Amino acid sequence: MHLAVENVEKGYADKRVLKNVSFGVDAHEFICILGHSGCGKSTLLNLVAGFLQPDRGSVTVNGIPVKGPSKSRGVVFQDHALFPWYNVLDNIAFGPSVQGKSKAEAREIARKYLKLVGLEEYADSYPDQLSGGMKQRVGIARALASEPDLLLMDEPFGALDILTREMMQKELLRIWLELKISILFITHSVSEAVYLADRILVMKDGYVAETFRVTMDRPRDIAHPEYAELVRRIQKMLTDDQGEGIHD
Amino acid sequence: MTRPASSAAPQGAAIAEGGKAAVRRPFRWKDRMGLVPIAVFLLVWEIVSTLNESYEYFNPIFLPAPSDVVKEMWYLGQTGLITESIAASTVRILLGFLIGLVSAIAVGVLMNKYARVEYWLSPILNLLGPIPALALLPIFIIWFGIGEVPKVLLIAWTTFVPVLTNTLDGLKSVNPTLIRSALSLGAKERHIFFKVVFPSAIPSIFVGAQVSLGLGFSSLIVSEMMGAKSGLGYIIVDARNYFKMSNMFVAIVLIGLEFSLFSYLLKLLERRLVNWRQNGVRSAVEK
Repeated sequence: MHLAVENVEKGYADKRVLKNVSFGVDAHEFICILGHSGCGKSTLLNLVAGFLQPDRGSVTVNGIPVKGPSKSRGVVFQDHALFPWYNVLDNIAFGPSVQGKSKAEAREIARKYLKLVGLEEYADSYPDQLSGGMKQRVGIARALASEPDLLLMDEPFGALDILTREMMQKELLRIWLELKISILFITHSVSEAVYLADRILVMKDGYVAETFRVTMDRPRDIAHPEYAELVRRIQKMLTDDQGEGIHD
Repeated sequence: MTRPASSAAPQGAAIAEGGKAAVRRPFRWKDRMGLVPIAVFLLVWEIVSTLNESYEYFNPIFLPAPSDVVKEMWYLGQTGLITESIAASTVRILLGFLIGLVSAIAVGVLMNKYARVEYWLSPILNLLGPIPALALLPIFIIWFGIGEVPKVLLIAWTTFVPVLTNTLDGLKSVNPTLIRSALSLGAKERHIFFKVVFPSAIPSIFVGAQVSLGLGFSSLIVSEMMGAKSGLGYIIVDARNYFKMSNMFVAIVLIGLEFSLFSYLLKLLERRLVNWRQNGVRSAVEK
């Protein structure tokens, strides 16, 4: 799997949100896109997912242009977007089921991924009955059940409290190591990006301003000098010519 | 749910009540407190009527006591009139309501899917929709005669308008992120409709159905009062002609009971189909 985003531009009305963005994602890479609200990072993810089409440039997977949403690119949404009328198991079974698996097969697959995220006991619960972190686990399991090559995550932990968030980050790394998929992860938390990513793309005002490679071994230690130094550098570059800072 | 109480949930588990087990609650008189005001109302009515019979503040025939109404109901029941009337009215309301409901949902779905259908139908329906259905009854009678057809059609039309409005509303208010998530999971157009758009419209459709049921009942009764030889509405006109007040009250009580029953059945169906929804004050604060 190789995702290539080349010279992509995208605008709404007369505002240009993305101005010439290029980057690539290789197999089993963990990429974080970091930036302020409104820097165009969600638009970028929606382009890769196939929900939007670029005005200029191209988004390709293995050389084939992205024409629309596909099950090979799973999406995890910030507001989880679970179907409230299906219980947890049927939410996860949705993908396999619409892809033509029988109901029993789809549920079998769903059970496997429910186990992966550690929520077997909640198979029969409805999304409204779960806490924020649990909903997001179900969201991840649902996206994984289609066996995508690339998982697109749009600030998935943005709405979670700090303790749940840290636990979810650890969980995500475990799943990523187990399934060997690629992840494109959007966040506005510098610390989260440094904790998770192989590469961090810092976006500013519609451009990829800089790319940072993170080579520390996982699990990464927040107290490690290299960690702190990287967070400081990225924070500095984000706040350089902007009045407001990022406090995370 | 069958999980051991000791099993540690991964994190602050916010599980309220497990799935379907929560629907069935044990019977408690406390939940039936709504019956008290009704009982008091009937008691006051009984006392006023009985006192009036002795003191004659006004003609006692005008306001029969509830006990007299029950007696009359029993008597009419013996003659078979009540069963016959209820059967006639029930067939009309059921038929009319179902025709109206199904066609409103079908038209709503088509209007939502094809912009062209909406372009042509929407202005016309906006023009005809607000006309009180009862104003149409004489026309319906002239067009379709005094048989069952105009009555069923009138009820169907009264049901149609509110259900259509609410169906459209529900279909249009589907959360776009849900559609995106279904698409990214490989859903085709039919899956999007049957598994995402339609389920999210069901609560609105029920809102329309409840409104329609009330309007449909008024259409039923009025259409039975004009040009009918059976039904609960017919009992009322017939009794008026012979000045039999207690018969009128019998019919009124039966109409009320039948409406309550239908409304309750609709609520039950809604609760069964929309059991995933948890909202309202009751789920906000536990008492």
